[in-house]
Amino acid sequence: MKLLRGFLWLLAFQLLGHATVELLSLPVSHAMAGLLLLLAWLLVKRRLNESVATASQALIPLLAMLIMPGVVGVFFVIDEFAGHWTAIMLALVVGTFLSVLTTLLLMRRFMPREAVDTETRNRQL
Amino acid sequence: MSELHASLLNTPILAVALTLAAYLGGVRLFERLGRPSWCPAVLIGALLTAAALWLLRYEYIDYQRNVAWLTLLLGPATVALAVPLYQQRQHIFALWKPILCCLPLAAALAALYAVLIAWLLGTPPTVLASLAPKSVTAPIAMGILEQLGGSLSLMLGGLLITGVLTTIFVSLLAKWLKIDDKRILGFALGVNGHAIGIVRAFELGPTAGAFASLGMSLTGIFTAMLLPLVWRLLGV
Repeated sequence: MKLLRGFLWLLAFQLLGHATVELLSLPVSHAMAGLLLLLAWLLVKRRLNESVATASQALIPLLAMLIMPGVVGVFFVIDEFAGHWTAIMLALVVGTFLSVLTTLLLMRRFMPREAVDTETRNRQL
Repeated sequence: MSELHASLLNTPILAVALTLAAYLGGVRLFERLGRPSWCPAVLIGALLTAAALWLLRYEYIDYQRNVAWLTLLLGPATVALAVPLYQQRQHIFALWKPILCCLPLAAALAALYAVLIAWLLGTPPTVLASLAPKSVTAPIAMGILEQLGGSLSLMLGGLLITGVLTTIFVSLLAKWLKIDDKRILGFALGVNGHAIGIVRAFELGPTAGAFASLGMSLTGIFTAMLLPLVWRLLGV
């Protein structure tokens, strides 16, 4: 029952997200708006509803399976994008290389050091 | 016989069963291969599904229509991502300064680099839209794609490749730049490589894993709020 109750909460927040997006014509998806609304609600309440936690623990591991049917489509659009694959692969490889490099450099520049030391100390104790 | 074939292809039950079987098979094979980070379980499962569709002479469009009964769950599962994010709030509050300095820029560049390169190489707008959310976790990226317009399958393919490349580049660059701070490595894995990066981060330890989840969630939210807006303004 906890699972069902939590699932109903998630559906309610998705519907709330749906209504918000349509009423304000926001450029985000309904589920994304639901995520943000649920997060805001949790932050305001400062307490995690047990049934919501149960439902999310049940659903999140299924995400990989749920996107799989979309991934299958890749094998059917190979012809559709013929002639663009070199550009696509170059964009993915070079783009990802550059963005990983940038993130690492940025984080190294801005991440405070002390916390690392505490962590290492804790590990040694 | 052909009537039975047609009626089976028409029921959502077969599409759902096929998907579950292929996914479980994919996970099983993935474990057998020793969990290779270059070949995620979803990809194996997708290959198995594609092979089954081909054997059954099942049109992808029909499969997609029938399996929608299952993929409907993507919505509430995406909403559910608010829970782990809420549970990580203390990391966000403790490190809001470095996060504020790095995340928007890192997430924006993750999209910009690839789009810019593809644009310079003269690819059409559909392809650009499909590449833009490449570093965002799949459920959120699918929501973004709805706004941009683009090919769902191409986007998901790009997403998988990006995830795998991220794990490779992070290990490589960490050695070059001599970075061994688990928080930084985890964050870079999550921001650029979404769920696949997180899997790799947890291999580095729980701290890296927590920061990867944080990086992934924040990148997803940031990109989902900004990218469609930017796209609309650019009038692509």
